[in-house]
Amino acid sequence: MRTRPGIIATAAVGVLVALARPALAQTAAELFDQNTIQEIRLSVNSRDLATLRANTALNTYYTADLTWKSVKVRNVGIRSRGQGSRNPTKPGLRVDIARYTTGQTFVGLSTIILDNIWQDDALLRERLAFTLFEKMGEPAPRESFCRLFINNEYQGLYAITEEIDGAFARRVTGETDGTVFEYHWFADRQWRAEDLGDIARYKVLLEPRTHTLDADSTLYAPIQQLFKEVNGPDDAVWRSRVEQYIDLNQFMVHVGIEQFIADNDGLLGAQGMNNFYLYRFQGTQKHRLFVWDRDQSFLFLDSPLATSDSNVLFRRAMTQPDLRETYLTTLERCAQISAADDFLLLEIDRLIGIIHAAAVADTKKQFAGDPGRFDLAVDFLRSFAARRPAQVLGEVARIRKGA
Amino acid sequence: MPLILPTAALVAVLARLGAAPILPQDTAQAEAKDSAKKKDKEKQKKPEDKGDDQEKARSQASRNPKPEYPSFRLDGDHPSVHLGKGTHLDFRGRFAADRTASDAASDDPVERSTIDLGKKRLGVSGEIANAVEFQIEAELSDTDPWRDVYGEFKSFDVARVRGGKFKIPFSLDENTGASRLDFMFRSLAATHLAPGRDQGVMVHGRVGKKLIGYEAGVFAHDGKNARTNNAAKVYAGQTQAVRVTVEPLRHVKDAIGGLSLGVALTRSDDIPEGVSALRGQTVLSQNFFTGSDYFVKGRRRRLGVEMEFRPGPASIKSEWMRVETDRQGQSVEDTDLSPIVGEGWYVSGTVAVTGEKKNTVHRPKKPLFQGGFGAIELAARLENLKFKSGSAAERPSRSPRADTIIGNGDQVTTVGVNWYINRFFKVQANFIKEKLDDPSQGPLPGQASFNTKAIRLQFSF
Repeated sequence: MRTRPGIIATAAVGVLVALARPALAQTAAELFDQNTIQEIRLSVNSRDLATLRANTALNTYYTADLTWKSVKVRNVGIRSRGQGSRNPTKPGLRVDIARYTTGQTFVGLSTIILDNIWQDDALLRERLAFTLFEKMGEPAPRESFCRLFINNEYQGLYAITEEIDGAFARRVTGETDGTVFEYHWFADRQWRAEDLGDIARYKVLLEPRTHTLDADSTLYAPIQQLFKEVNGPDDAVWRSRVEQYIDLNQFMVHVGIEQFIADNDGLLGAQGMNNFYLYRFQGTQKHRLFVWDRDQSFLFLDSPLATSDSNVLFRRAMTQPDLRETYLTTLERCAQISAADDFLLLEIDRLIGIIHAAAVADTKKQFAGDPGRFDLAVDFLRSFAARRPAQVLGEVARIRKGA
Repeated sequence: MPLILPTAALVAVLARLGAAPILPQDTAQAEAKDSAKKKDKEKQKKPEDKGDDQEKARSQASRNPKPEYPSFRLDGDHPSVHLGKGTHLDFRGRFAADRTASDAASDDPVERSTIDLGKKRLGVSGEIANAVEFQIEAELSDTDPWRDVYGEFKSFDVARVRGGKFKIPFSLDENTGASRLDFMFRSLAATHLAPGRDQGVMVHGRVGKKLIGYEAGVFAHDGKNARTNNAAKVYAGQTQAVRVTVEPLRHVKDAIGGLSLGVALTRSDDIPEGVSALRGQTVLSQNFFTGSDYFVKGRRRRLGVEMEFRPGPASIKSEWMRVETDRQGQSVEDTDLSPIVGEGWYVSGTVAVTGEKKNTVHRPKKPLFQGGFGAIELAARLENLKFKSGSAAERPSRSPRADTIIGNGDQVTTVGVNWYINRFFKVQANFIKEKLDDPSQGPLPGQASFNTKAIRLQFSF
């Protein structure tokens, strides 16, 4: 039997391509692929690991080598991260790729977050919430799931989360020189958009992630002015003055989504504002919000929708008819999107299909001692997905009637 | 204040003494050698010479009265009290005031130009019955004041035994007394790589018709230079040190000068896991090597070679030394990393333009106000100190656990003038030019070269 040269050549090319495949450069898009579960491996000196676990309240960096697929990055910096989620059993980690080696990146990223998903018994609340934010046109950090191994020991199911920094701002806004602030929550400084007065008080709460070398006056004077106007005495000029400093429409959309997902640790959180980044548009004094950390969402099925609040900005924005309408419309759209073709329900099932084995094998998760809790939590989410849209639509209708 | 009046009185007395009998050196070790040399000469004299000497001594004794004890003498290098034959107590002191002006100090103009009056060292040394030497010396302005505190059994020149706190035998420059340095500051290599003082026991002596000198000792740690005030930084445990020097021209008639060649080794064990206290610093003690954050563990090894040649009024000195510190189990996988390496060298030269021999330039033939203006010596030194890792296999990193670290080096050129006003007072002026390989780790990020001007007035006895 004769073999055609073309077939041989094609086969040879195929073999070469197959051999070359592992050497192809991996990308951030592959890392954040939501259709699969990744595997991240860290090598950490045993003394450093013990010290990190013993001091999770500290932000001390330790050296690690990071391996993902065919990519190995040496000498990255890792540190404990989080607020209520900090713990020695399953530490959340910030991975600073360039900490010790200037200019070093990992699939083009200078930082990633390895979120321990500590406070979420269903392990997928944040991913689900970010999906809804994205569906609503609100930018959210890219995120995928991974099995994390440290020194070849399985640490459990983690989320690989894109850090909100200058690169994130460039990706979602197209701007190259905006200013990103991370909000820090303090138990003894619960803040609901009151006028804090002095710049120093804002500096404690809002840490710049870009323009870090700018003068305090440059960084904080617009924020100081924003909240001075938010708390201004004259209702007649309130809207025009505040809108110089913040995109009120975007703010109401953000709050609307948070309300739909029944988040109690966001802008209208019971303990004051939390889990957001403030972004100042390039060359302006105007800000917008970015969403962060949604482990405490989808918690209460019948959570009532806020129409007023102790949060000054939301309360006064709700007195503006168009902003109130934006808020209510956002709630309706969230409900419609979630209900359409059972999107939210199917998304839960899809994500469970990806993470279930890794989640069950995760013996370090907070509720590992209660083996049925994960399944119960997922069942609750399914109930939420099935019932929340109708419940929200009904309540919005009642609010409109009341109006 | 309590020191000022007695010091001033002593200065007045000493300044009037003028040129005194010339001794080669005044460091403790040098004096010990000189004393040994005198004894050698006496021992080497022929019997008939000894007979003549005894005759002369009897004649001398009849002319001179028998020495009385105790007696106070000012004719040596140090004021001394003689308590009996072969038993004396010498008083030692060194006071220095520095003025420095550097490009590389902080932005604070006050710091860029500083006057340091802080060097005040006092001590006593002596001998008991020609059998035991001792020295006790303290820096008055230091939180850790004790410098040399030792006793030495010296009955046998081939094997003297010293115990206490003193300099580990490594590096010619480090083991030169502070008052006899050719430059205001020791070489960077000696300052940061040589161990310095520690507590220990040492045997030393000269063998092979005194051509060969040796020092071998065991010390508690690896010296003060390997430590900082930061208690969190680690340093070595027990340290063994050996230094061998050869003087090939010692018995050569008409040699144009003394030549000394040497090699030294130390081995230190038990460096605990932690950040090394070895530092890379500029001449004015500013960090240029962030590698002080690298973790180490295990052993530290030093190797040094040295050379000194003293032809007439000139001298040439050179040293090279290397320190390797292990990093056992320090990788992210708990395996060993390549050692941290510190390497340094210098070449220096001096010439006394007023003609004094190098050995005696500190005792000018014609002191100021006594028929002359003292001795003038010109000096120049080229040196280098660098830190790196033993491996260059991967991309250099600042990580404390990187196999290939981001090293750095400092190349220094110093020119200076030493004015020996008389045997007690010396003025030194140095111009120092430093150039860093990686200025981003240095005191002036973005600027590799910087200059320092410094002047010192020293009073020592």
